[in-house]
Amino acid sequence: MKILERKLNRSLVILMLASGFFASCEDKKEEDKDDLVETADTVKTAVLNVNGELFSVPSPIQTALLIQKTGVSYDKSVLSVSNKVNNFSTDYSRAFNLGIYGADLGYVSLYNQTQDALSYLTAIKQLSDKLGISAAFDAATMERLSKNITNKDSMMVLVGLAYRSSDSYLKNNRRNDISTVILAGGWIESMHFSMAAYKSKPDATIRERIAEQKQALNSLIKILGSNTSPEVTEITTLLSDLSKIYEGVKLTYKYVPPTTDSIHKITTINSITEVVISDEQLSQIAAKVNEIRNKITITTK
Amino acid sequence: MKKFILALSLVLSGAFMSRINAQCDTIASICTKHIISSFISDGQQYRSLLLNSEEYAEFRTTFFGETTYRIAACSGRADGNLIFTIYDPERNPLFSNKNQQNAPYWDFKVKSTVEVIIEAQLDGKKNPGSGCAVILIGFKQK
Repeated sequence: MKILERKLNRSLVILMLASGFFASCEDKKEEDKDDLVETADTVKTAVLNVNGELFSVPSPIQTALLIQKTGVSYDKSVLSVSNKVNNFSTDYSRAFNLGIYGADLGYVSLYNQTQDALSYLTAIKQLSDKLGISAAFDAATMERLSKNITNKDSMMVLVGLAYRSSDSYLKNNRRNDISTVILAGGWIESMHFSMAAYKSKPDATIRERIAEQKQALNSLIKILGSNTSPEVTEITTLLSDLSKIYEGVKLTYKYVPPTTDSIHKITTINSITEVVISDEQLSQIAAKVNEIRNKITITTK
Repeated sequence: MKKFILALSLVLSGAFMSRINAQCDTIASICTKHIISSFISDGQQYRSLLLNSEEYAEFRTTFFGETTYRIAACSGRADGNLIFTIYDPERNPLFSNKNQQNAPYWDFKVKSTVEVIIEAQLDGKKNPGSGCAVILIGFKQK
């Protein structure tokens, strides 16, 4: 009993100290500039991502924009069905599919498919609620999206903002694991769009864009690599298999000095990257992407 | 006693992390004004705690061809506290806002896809201490 009492006392002291720390932080909030007290390296590594490096995954909206620009028609059959929310029973399967639905929302909005956009918005809201991150897609964000659903330009901007705010929310709440899984879902879906688009219209721009995903894939593998959950590991392993196929894709870079216009605050990057990807590599990539996407979207329930 | 110190450290570091996150969030909110509505956000927020002006955060991204990107870089409540430099895969410098009065944002017109490395560090002249570095990326098709 005494031991328990001592433990309780200790907990109380810790709580008091922590409360005091928080209170002092709140008091100082307004006058804070940007200085932080000296910290240990452990804190730093918690903020940075992998070995001090941050990684970027291309926006699925960017891929959808390219596909539309090449004149590929709207194809609903390439999308994930939006009424399967209840089939995703784990947080990671919800997060993967939240990324997929976000990419689908971008795609349908780009083609002005209002009714489909509404279905994906509803699915996104339901999934984020189930994930316990409804604050990431709050009522105000959802209302802005719903109000602008017929305006494709506004929708593109708003979907990007909504996903950035969810990324921020998850990072603030130390749910980086969920944040990276959402990114992965979005990336896989954008690869799926690209493959389907290339199949219906073998355009050189889409072919190159598929090849140019090599670095994004490596970044994705690195950020997912710190997640040891079997569900995520399974996908990371499949992505590593995909990366092996990509090893054969040749990207040859040639540096050309950039030109900067200081008045208009713009730099033109003149360097050239040449891409070589064979038909066989494309088929192998398509098959592997399909396998990964099926693993995520098809549930047994 | 060891356990007590460990618990205390955990609580304090947890509190500290909450404070950093709040600070990063405030900076990110301020920084969003630079990604104007003609640019679509890439859906991510890149943030890093830098302990001093010697330390830098690095990240890799792909600039796709036929696209214009806007990079916004912020630290603290005022513009111009963060220096960012962009390198190509061979480490040739492509741009640094250091040569542009630490401009808080810059646009990049990309002709052909290029993999880039973005480095961000605090400007020691403006902020000798530590701070949260936030980078945001927006894009638009040509």
